[in-house]
Amino acid sequence: MKSSIIQAFKNLLSKPITIDYPASPIIKPFGYRGLIKYEETECIYCLKCEKACPPEAILFVKTDNPSSNEKNKKSLEYLYNPYLCIYCQECVRACPKPSLALWQSEEKPSSGIMEDKVNEKWFEIENLKRGDKL
Amino acid sequence: MKKTITIPLGSQHISLLEPVKFRFVCENEKIIDVSSDVGFVHRGIERACATKFTFEKIPYVVARICGLCAITHSLCYTQAVENLLDGEVSLKAKYLRILLVELDRIHSHMLCLSHVSENAGFEAMFMQIMGDREYVMSLQEMITGNRVQFDYISIGGVNRDIDTNISSQIKKNLTIIKQKVYDYIEQFENNWSLSLKYKNIGKLSLDMAYQYNAIGPLARACGLETDVRSESAYLPYVDVGYKMITRSNGDIYDRNMVRLYEILNSIQMCENIVDGLPSGEIYTKLKGKPNGESLVRLEAPRGELMYYIKGSGKPLLDRVRIKTPTFSSIPAFIEVFKGSDYGDAPAILASFDPCMSCTAK
Repeated sequence: MKSSIIQAFKNLLSKPITIDYPASPIIKPFGYRGLIKYEETECIYCLKCEKACPPEAILFVKTDNPSSNEKNKKSLEYLYNPYLCIYCQECVRACPKPSLALWQSEEKPSSGIMEDKVNEKWFEIENLKRGDKL
Repeated sequence: MKKTITIPLGSQHISLLEPVKFRFVCENEKIIDVSSDVGFVHRGIERACATKFTFEKIPYVVARICGLCAITHSLCYTQAVENLLDGEVSLKAKYLRILLVELDRIHSHMLCLSHVSENAGFEAMFMQIMGDREYVMSLQEMITGNRVQFDYISIGGVNRDIDTNISSQIKKNLTIIKQKVYDYIEQFENNWSLSLKYKNIGKLSLDMAYQYNAIGPLARACGLETDVRSESAYLPYVDVGYKMITRSNGDIYDRNMVRLYEILNSIQMCENIVDGLPSGEIYTKLKGKPNGESLVRLEAPRGELMYYIKGSGKPLLDRVRIKTPTFSSIPAFIEVFKGSDYGDAPAILASFDPCMSCTAK
């Protein structure tokens, strides 16, 4: 009883535990899992990241305007969906050139709101790709 | 004239945290019969694991079954797959896995205790415990990079190592929590709302616990010595200072006490791990594809979690079966409800710490 009374008075005088977000920013811890970043010029197009990604948030699709990278023999384009990504770093671990071609940043994704319909176009691409494979 | 009245509790109810439905048949204030329904948040995860995702991706899928027990689900599945692959996981990875599971247990037990306090009408205690729980949540965020969905366990080891900074922060935060837990024990023993009110309420006898397959803190509060941590040798729990906590009365008070002393034991284990972490690799590449059957048990915060997998040498598994602790305990829950007052039902339910996301999966 005594300790709870002391605690109650301490709570009266202490600051709130919660962060006053968005007035004050959230402090990201060291090693925060943020967006996956990609550097096209370093990529060797082994497609290991695409195979490793659990939610299939990385896709390589055929394009008419391929990059000038000589490793890109199949005219592919890298596509990444931050709203499907679970930031597990599995792609970075699978990448033969981590931190050069593919790495995890500490950047937060922008908030996806209903009006943006962030995934609809993505699912269309997925379906097209599945059709290609068939 | 009919003497009984049927009262539904759930699937949406002010005192419930997750969707579960109980139908109580009451005679005056006493509950004489109970039926339950748990399938409100079914997502077909077992089916998805066997049809859509390859075995390397499933740890991330099963982690999404439940936010609170994310680490135990992915760990239990990973151990089951590792049984069928060639290679051995390093001792350091095993120690780090125990560290995360025990941190998970600490915050899960704290959540349960806060809800028990809330159901006793002690809102200030609820706030206090939830505030203190942040110390563990911040540790988990520091180690894994995320507050809830950790994605820490991978087949063959763990994804991140801990450095000296993190080690010192773990010890600092755990020392603070330990002191807080001693305060809680005093409160839960002496405060009228939390102790005297709940003594001899929601009682489960040892015989009944045996008969109805009670597991986890619910069974240990009755004196039933069942804990996968002492029965299974997958993780070196004995080396890190595991101790079985049991009580004898089996009421809400004893369940709270079991949880409180388990938090202290988990803190002790985490400190031992940080002090004596062996050197070595955190990840070993395991070769092959799962071929055969494997069954693994793991002590989740609520009791025994069981994974059965069957593979036939292909990337897709034939079957993934998940048996969660709350589902196994439901017959025991129903037995506890019978004979209790209806007014105590929300508090009894909170003391079971049910997890419906796990149960319905």
